[in-house]
Amino acid sequence: MVYTRKHPALFIIGLLLLVHGALIAGGYMGGVQKYLNIARAAGEMTNFSYIFGAVAVVAGLWHWFGSHREGNLDYYSSSIAGGIFILFVAMIVKWYLDPWVGALSRGVGPVIPGGRFIHDVFGLNYVVLGIVAGMVIVNVFSIPDWAQNGVRLSRLGLKSGVILLGTLYSLAELANLGRLSVVMIGIFVLGSVGLVLVIGVQRKISNSMGGVLSAGVGVCGVSAAVAAAPVVRARSEEIAYTIGTILVFGVICMFIFPVIGHMLNMGYIQFGAWAGTGILNSAQVAGAALAFQPAGIETLKVAEIFNITRVLFLPIIVLWLAVWYVRRETAAGEVGVQQVDTTRVIFEKFPVFVLGFILMFALSSTGIFAPAQHYQGRYFDNTRVAAARMLNDNEVATLRTESSKLQREDQKGALNRLIENKKLMSIDDDDVLRGVVNSGALSRDANAALRKAHNAVYHTAPMIAAFRDWITWLFAFGLTGLGMQITMAAMRQAGGEPLVIGSTVGVVKAVLSLIVVLLFVRETI
Amino acid sequence: MADKKSQDIDLHTTETGFRYHRGSALSIFKSDRYEDFIALACALLIALGVFLLLR
Repeated sequence: MVYTRKHPALFIIGLLLLVHGALIAGGYMGGVQKYLNIARAAGEMTNFSYIFGAVAVVAGLWHWFGSHREGNLDYYSSSIAGGIFILFVAMIVKWYLDPWVGALSRGVGPVIPGGRFIHDVFGLNYVVLGIVAGMVIVNVFSIPDWAQNGVRLSRLGLKSGVILLGTLYSLAELANLGRLSVVMIGIFVLGSVGLVLVIGVQRKISNSMGGVLSAGVGVCGVSAAVAAAPVVRARSEEIAYTIGTILVFGVICMFIFPVIGHMLNMGYIQFGAWAGTGILNSAQVAGAALAFQPAGIETLKVAEIFNITRVLFLPIIVLWLAVWYVRRETAAGEVGVQQVDTTRVIFEKFPVFVLGFILMFALSSTGIFAPAQHYQGRYFDNTRVAAARMLNDNEVATLRTESSKLQREDQKGALNRLIENKKLMSIDDDDVLRGVVNSGALSRDANAALRKAHNAVYHTAPMIAAFRDWITWLFAFGLTGLGMQITMAAMRQAGGEPLVIGSTVGVVKAVLSLIVVLLFVRETI
Repeated sequence: MADKKSQDIDLHTTETGFRYHRGSALSIFKSDRYEDFIALACALLIALGVFLLLR
């Protein structure tokens, strides 16, 4: 059979991309860019449109007018059409739909204390919107025939993205975290993953469903589910179910946690520890912390530490799931065989791309891409602050005038050291002064000076920033394509069992972590 | 009858109705491990490119 379809669609998409690139480069989309707040992406939009537009035009002409015969060339080159189709949809989602939803949401105004908008609360970013866009296309319009083969490239994009995800983490960051957060998170992450796997086996859901759900519920929500999905060979609808469970549960927790926290008269550290442990998704952890303490940053800081800790457990969980899945599948396939030769099974079936993820994590830990203490590319360094980024005389005068407004000794000390040196002298000072900004105690000019001081000592490693861009696009591509494989029939077939299991384990984790926090976590702030 | 070609012997169909003879419903590659190696090669190429351009 011949896979390539003689169809003008790919050529037309290429032309559209080239025109789009020219419009952006010529400044004709300035109004739209301003409304959507996407002016920073102009370079990326121009370059991507030109590059992939040119590829689509050339390949489109070849598909449309060329002579195609059965074979490898036809099989693989036909997938270009579907690949460009996915990318085209992903571009619309990332460049226009995601910012548009953000603009509409900001227009409504903050919906909870701490300045959180609707799209923050519901996690409506390019990941979720990409999957939804794919699902709408396949269920409402259906995938065009000429794109069908290439849609099967989406998992390749996802796997490549997961491998590069390893560059964002480092062992040094894990070593810097407090012992309490490591022990507590370790117990709850491993416990949650194990519990989902055990319940999943008892309730007879598929191994792939149990695997992806356990990572989502146990580690850090959507990104962990996405990372684990190819490890356990999860089907598209299983990923959708997991993400749906995490987001719905996370939104409910974000509203309920602060209420319970205030009812129990919890302190900042206690609530931060509880939110960072019990809420499934990172975005909603920050939302709950800010809702609990709108005029300060202490709760958010503790919650972030706990959240970072569990994210750093991801490599361990990915390895665990890989071995677990291979053993379960092999045992299921070899009926009557009592003992599974683990070494042989792992050697034969272990997903190789997981080793790539671990390799990138190890490389990142050596400091080859960024200073080893970085977290997702950001690191503190006050030894190399350019003169222009230090506080000027006016800013120093403003801060000196307003220093009397501060009552706490730690805040006064941090501000005095900043005034004296014209730059932040430690991470602790930065944390304290971020709290001052968040509390709104100082004037707008003074807060602007504090923000400038913060930005001057925090650096973004260019390599990690580039990796983040690649990861974002590979995930956008992969998840949009996966969305195109989720039919409503498949969703009905998967049933509601994953929702029940995920919610059950989520509630157990939230309740147990609350008990542990109340028993063992004491306030020190 | 139309010519029976070798690729048509073992045809599968995805839930969206697409018929294919190689790979799986989720991948165009002949096996998961093959896809892993391709993904690894892609990621390493990207990493090398980023490293060489930005070091």
